[in-house]
Amino acid sequence: MAEAVAMLGITKQFPGVLANDDVDLVVEGGEIRAIVGENGAGKTTLMRILYGLEKADKGTIRVKGEEVAIPNARTAIALGIGMVHQHFKMVPSFTVAQNVVLGMEPHRGVLYEEGQSRNDVLGLSSRYGLVVEPDRRIMDASVGEQQRVEILRALYRKADILILDEPTAVLTDSETEELFAILRRLAQDGLTILFISHKLREVLAISDNTTVMRNGRVVGTVRTAQTTSDELSEMIIGRASLESASRDRAAAKVGEAVLDLEGVCVHDARGLLAVKSVSLQVRSGEILGIAGVEGNGQLELAEAITGLRPTAEGRIALLGNEIQNLSVRQIREAGVAHIPADRYAMGVSADALVWENLCGTSYYEEEFSGRIALSIDSILSNARVLIKEFDVRTPTLHCPARNLSGGNLQKLVVARELGAERAQLVVASQPTRGIDIAGTEAIRSMLMDYASRGAGVLLISADLDEILAISDRVVVMYEGQLTEVGTVDASTRERVGRIMTGADL
Amino acid sequence: MTARTEAEVVTDTSRLRAMLSSAGLQLLNYALILLLALGVGALAIAASGKDPVAAYQALLRGAFGSVRALANTLDRSTVMILAGLAAVLAFSTSVRNLGIEGQLYMGAFIAAWVGFGIDGLPSLLHIVLAFVASAIAGAAWGLVPILLRTRWDVDEIVTSLMFNYIATFFTAYLVAFPFKSDTTILPGTDPINATAKLPRFIRGSPLSVGFPMALVLVVVVYWFLFRTKQGYELRMVGMNPRFAAYAGLPVKRSALLGMLLSGAMAGVGGASLILGFFGRFITQFSLGYGWDGIVISLLAKNNPIAVIPAAIFYAGLANGSLEMQSATQVPTMLVSTVKGVIMFIVTAQVFLRHLARRSPR
Repeated sequence: MAEAVAMLGITKQFPGVLANDDVDLVVEGGEIRAIVGENGAGKTTLMRILYGLEKADKGTIRVKGEEVAIPNARTAIALGIGMVHQHFKMVPSFTVAQNVVLGMEPHRGVLYEEGQSRNDVLGLSSRYGLVVEPDRRIMDASVGEQQRVEILRALYRKADILILDEPTAVLTDSETEELFAILRRLAQDGLTILFISHKLREVLAISDNTTVMRNGRVVGTVRTAQTTSDELSEMIIGRASLESASRDRAAAKVGEAVLDLEGVCVHDARGLLAVKSVSLQVRSGEILGIAGVEGNGQLELAEAITGLRPTAEGRIALLGNEIQNLSVRQIREAGVAHIPADRYAMGVSADALVWENLCGTSYYEEEFSGRIALSIDSILSNARVLIKEFDVRTPTLHCPARNLSGGNLQKLVVARELGAERAQLVVASQPTRGIDIAGTEAIRSMLMDYASRGAGVLLISADLDEILAISDRVVVMYEGQLTEVGTVDASTRERVGRIMTGADL
Repeated sequence: MTARTEAEVVTDTSRLRAMLSSAGLQLLNYALILLLALGVGALAIAASGKDPVAAYQALLRGAFGSVRALANTLDRSTVMILAGLAAVLAFSTSVRNLGIEGQLYMGAFIAAWVGFGIDGLPSLLHIVLAFVASAIAGAAWGLVPILLRTRWDVDEIVTSLMFNYIATFFTAYLVAFPFKSDTTILPGTDPINATAKLPRFIRGSPLSVGFPMALVLVVVVYWFLFRTKQGYELRMVGMNPRFAAYAGLPVKRSALLGMLLSGAMAGVGGASLILGFFGRFITQFSLGYGWDGIVISLLAKNNPIAVIPAAIFYAGLANGSLEMQSATQVPTMLVSTVKGVIMFIVTAQVFLRHLARRSPR
């Protein structure tokens, strides 16, 4: 096959960061190319340059053999390049078909041809096996369907080079399988696919070749069939041996129940019942994983336990004392730490300084303040200890938290929540989502350490690999209810997968 | 290892450079805003056939040109500093208090009442009493809007704004009927007793101890916001209420406290004008100082220390415009144009920064 895309000597400098440093990327037509690397490795920047969203400082781009300049996305689209972003960009109140044709609607004179666009969408849809319901509004469509609409939108614009930025981050295992089937069919049809991912298992499953980036440079490109997950993660991290965090279940000393839920019901923001009579126990020394597709009541459950949302019915006991509907501070003081799912909006105050974030749950304690004034000195020295112990990389304690990278921001949250060492229960929601491999490993080990010191950990994660890697026992949450799966073994993945998509109910 | 340390050193120095250049950029930013605003003003002056250079010279002379001009400008800045602090206290706590003007009126009226209504107190005690009473009055005027917000989620932007009208018309009624004084042709109260008057410094200028008092309050507010437990809570609630709730901070109590402190500061501002300048309460005394306070807090980016230069600048514009009008016949209204341009640019910057943060890089 002929060369589809060649990016040569691409260099891009952001203030303080060399995002791309003399990067070469050559992709053949009809190829599925995975681009992997940690957060900040420069993958997304490189793709944004190709799609015209960023301008390279240096370097040349060839598309289908011709040297081109891509100053904006319009040019990229005209060259046959399409991009499916991590966060979809669609009009929620428009239908699937309307979103697909938006911007280049079929028309007769000034009149929009609704029927024509439905037919076009159905044609594309059946040709590539991209199942969508053309008349459904986007806001009613599932995440997987929304993603298929995004792909259709690129195909409708005659894209033959398709960029997908972490397409599986929002998908369930079975949706991911469907996506891969679609991508294979597209590639057979001659489309070139650039696939950005963190997840090595998926990269190995789908791609023909894999390009690894690290610190803005290309480390190497390998034939995927001839590589292994170990080899790839070595290239990604740049370390010879990566101790992958996994749970030593035999060594776990499980004790009495720390958290005991009985018949707990919780409403969501719209007043609908999101948690339906849930009972569960987390015992000391144990990591209990709650698997499931997001939006099945996990968020509401975590918020009820931590006091952010009222418990409508049932009891929540921490070490035998009822804590339901107490204030957040009372629950924290009783020994609950909380790593929230949305770290940017809730886990930190992005405009506040790093030290102000670190003392958010302890500033009022005797050690850190007098009756009126804060003891800034002891707060700062404690903050220094925390960022050292939890390896939070920040230039200074006095910069806004928003300056930190995603992984460091999450380590900051973990440092604050676990650093005080008084928590008996840790509620961790999506603790490593969007975080690079090294950061993920660090955070998982912190959680495992904490469990081995006798605390209970309630791990809520949509990432099944994470649940399987570090939890002792697994339950699945589906439509507000829990199904016990039991201790983790070889058959857990398949069973969980069936339950979380509702197949087993 | 060595390479890594070098890299770290490099990023450290580049960070320092970045910090210095950001402070420099801030100053440059302000300079450009000022230049642009004065430029637009100059165009307006030139369009009306007058000489912009002469007008601006007169403006500068009137604001800072002599000891007395300077003293008068500082005197006028006093209430602006206090109103600016009131706005800083509210806005750094996420309380959108648009009722500063009304709170200023209530504080001013109560200060006048204490000033003329009580006889035979030692001066210091009388003044302190008048200020305390005005602080309570200002805080009380903020109470209803903030309780409506914390109890029933009623937007305090609207309610506090409406309370301005109640305050100005209510005090106008008071001085027109129950407290009507025969000693003045304007609707106003009786003059306050000599013991309640703020001591002045310079013959021929109203500059009084109100000004140093305002400076002290700037330091107190700074200390409160950045060095105390409650100040920390207020700021954290203001910066991200969801984080504050998650961390277990008292979100509602902080909103309540922020509004009460803001109202109290506005009340003190009103009192400073009555006890230091007018010597009695008269209707329409304020000239919109409460609104100036909001703009000043925007200019100062909610930093209490920066309120001082911002308020002095605003006071200088107001005082200088009088000299400009008498010397060059350029009407004082021109200053509103200049202020309007500044306001426009500053709010646009706040808005654009907000947008820039929301969009991912």
